[in-house]
Amino acid sequence: MTDAAALPRTMVITGATGWLGQNLVRAVAPERERVRCLVRTPEEAALLAVVGTSVDPVIGDVRDPDALDRLLDGAADATVVHTAAVIHPTTGTRELFDVNVGGTQLVVDRVRRRGAGRLIHVSSNSPFGANPGPDHRFTEDSPRHPYMGYGRSKAEAEDIVLAAHERGHLEAVVLRPPWFYGPYQPERQTRWLRAVRRNRFPMVGDGSNRRSMVFTGNLVHAVLRAEQVQAAAGRAYWIADGPPPTMLEVIDTVRAALDAEGFAPAGGPRPRFPRAVGDVAERVDGFLQARGRYSQVLHVLGELKDTIACDTTRAEIELGYQPATTLLDGMRASIRWCVDRGIAL
Amino acid sequence: MTGLDTEVLVIGSGAGGATTARALAEAGRTVHVVEEGPWLEPGEAAPFSLAEMDRAYRHRGSSAAMGRPPIAYAEGRCVGGSTEINSGLWARLPRSLVDTWRTTLGLEDLTAEDLGKVEDRIESWVAVNPLPGAAPPSSAALVRGADALGWRHEEFPRAFAYDASGRGTKQSMSRTLLPEALRLGATVRADTYVSELLIDRGRAWGARLRTTHPDGVEDLQIRAEHVFVCGGAVQSPALLQRSGLRRRPIGRGLRMHPTLKVAAQFPTAVDHDEVPVHRITEFAPELAIGGSASRRGQVGLALADSGVDVHDLGAAWDRVFVYYAAIKSDRGGRVVAVPGLRAPVVTYPISDADLSRLARGLVLLGEALLAAGAEALYPSIEDAPVATSVADLGAWWDAIDRRRASLMSVHLTSSIGMSHDPARTGADAHGRVWGIDGLRVNDASLLPDAPGVNPQAGVMAIALRNVDHFLAQGR
Repeated sequence: MTDAAALPRTMVITGATGWLGQNLVRAVAPERERVRCLVRTPEEAALLAVVGTSVDPVIGDVRDPDALDRLLDGAADATVVHTAAVIHPTTGTRELFDVNVGGTQLVVDRVRRRGAGRLIHVSSNSPFGANPGPDHRFTEDSPRHPYMGYGRSKAEAEDIVLAAHERGHLEAVVLRPPWFYGPYQPERQTRWLRAVRRNRFPMVGDGSNRRSMVFTGNLVHAVLRAEQVQAAAGRAYWIADGPPPTMLEVIDTVRAALDAEGFAPAGGPRPRFPRAVGDVAERVDGFLQARGRYSQVLHVLGELKDTIACDTTRAEIELGYQPATTLLDGMRASIRWCVDRGIAL
Repeated sequence: MTGLDTEVLVIGSGAGGATTARALAEAGRTVHVVEEGPWLEPGEAAPFSLAEMDRAYRHRGSSAAMGRPPIAYAEGRCVGGSTEINSGLWARLPRSLVDTWRTTLGLEDLTAEDLGKVEDRIESWVAVNPLPGAAPPSSAALVRGADALGWRHEEFPRAFAYDASGRGTKQSMSRTLLPEALRLGATVRADTYVSELLIDRGRAWGARLRTTHPDGVEDLQIRAEHVFVCGGAVQSPALLQRSGLRRRPIGRGLRMHPTLKVAAQFPTAVDHDEVPVHRITEFAPELAIGGSASRRGQVGLALADSGVDVHDLGAAWDRVFVYYAAIKSDRGGRVVAVPGLRAPVVTYPISDADLSRLARGLVLLGEALLAAGAEALYPSIEDAPVATSVADLGAWWDAIDRRRASLMSVHLTSSIGMSHDPARTGADAHGRVWGIDGLRVNDASLLPDAPGVNPQAGVMAIALRNVDHFLAQGR
């Protein structure tokens, strides 16, 4: 199943300062000759340069053809991991399409022209929407129901990548991680951990809906498997920790992790919103997005009521994907990362 | 008021109306065609000239759909309709699209095989040919740019006939199907505006007309057993609405191909007489890249849109050619006939995804033109940076916004639609207006979606298919 040949000595990573990107750069920097990283600013370049001598930051925008030329210069045969994307836009929904679709199109076109090696495209659960019921699991053959602007943009990006593969332009593997967690988390995840600790994170509905989650370390492992397994070319894979926990189990596990790391969570009754609140939030979110506006609070609230759960069987069989970290251990690692950084919980 | 009688009244003489008239005349029907615009003598005005805009276009070529941003569009208004003013580029309906239409709209008999037969017949009526000889420099630039980047490109044939010397004549309706319809006994009345359809107890029985003569106007009423409305995607729904047919799907779902332009300056002079026949199809159908009519006026307009001082380029204009990126857009627009106003109000929403797709198209177009050897690119965006190298293109993303982008379109379709479901479309699967006997629509407004290619061939094919169905019914 695994190619015996040595791994490409260069890895190119877009979105290198993102949540997954930071974890991936650190995982591969010691073993590769060069890790070419697309970053947006000199400050971000300096942040990554300290990881190791192999790290080679290129400053630019993923929408800029010239930046991508510089990123892929001399990177023939390199593995390209395309993680750059906008999930919560700050200036309006147009960003989702500019970066997620436009950036992907330019990356795909340049990977083909430069004769770079395999493209690993990091997609999302969002092109598939929510499961029809709590016992349903998405497989790779499930029909798509893109959720809002983000879902549409990630669906269009997947289409571009897979069409390029089908036309023989490049060799691509698509990974679909759901909600992730782990070190190098963005500020929004820290706020979430704080809310759970203070018992202020609301359950929307009865909490029996299930959510697939993936620890960044497990996702990095999946990226590396996707790079190595020859037969993965042209395939898409769901990547998650394992069987999806219920929302109640997610919250209880996070509370247990906080407790184990010395951050005793607040007690008392769990705050709850009726499911209808989620429905309203979803509708208002849709209304705003149709007008180019985006509210992160409404967007997340609208999704909390849903089951978003996937079946990772194909990745386990074909990629040899074996998630090593459990939700509890992964959350504890995230909490320790916050502590190490002096981030208050 | 004078009266007239006919068996079939065809309103409009463009791709849909001319096809309808010719096919019905051939079947021995008595056909009366009315056309709002004038009958232009062949060669009266040079293609894409200002004189032609004055005579052959509605509003002298400057109609606009309201929205943010507004979209300028052009419609023919003369005998032959928009086939008189278009580039003649010929593309059969993409089969994947036809399959989607058939399965999602209950158009059971719209099969690739039957459509192919209809298209063969039309192409026996209208000469369709590739350009003889080498492509002109403006078209060759697209090929060169695409090849340099490894992108697919395609040469489109055109509805053109060529003589032995290679001189081409566009096979517009006034040169082909309309003379043939006349020979087969049809009548064509130009300069005639249809103010409303005459409908009584669910049956259309004629129309109220006004013909403009050099010495005044003549109002008349025409009685017909069958009425075919073929005024195009803006005028057809407006006429139905003026006639009291204001049901929801009529005038909804208007489609066009929103377009952004770039004026490209080359090191040497380029041709300006023809529209390029090549197109970059690498990103089709969502995104098409090609060349526009680039006579002096169009070059000047494109440069003015970019905000560049046209006088600076005065001497260089013969080295400048206009190219475009056109998209399939997310949402449909509306056509609303407003009582008291002769021109309907047209609105068209551009989503964020559309705007992003246009920006992407412009950046990709810029890459192709630079790869083809262009020295400077002036996009149709106010104050956008002029690009002289790939390093300048990234700045175009943020330069394109709702305020500064100057959008235009041709190819208006889909404002009535056809399907098996009266809730979704204004006409049934063969163009019969739901709920009204004797009334059919048979033009671009029936196409269920923007085709992503030049629509003339598709409009004619659907029109002929519907006439075949009409005749097979023994009507």
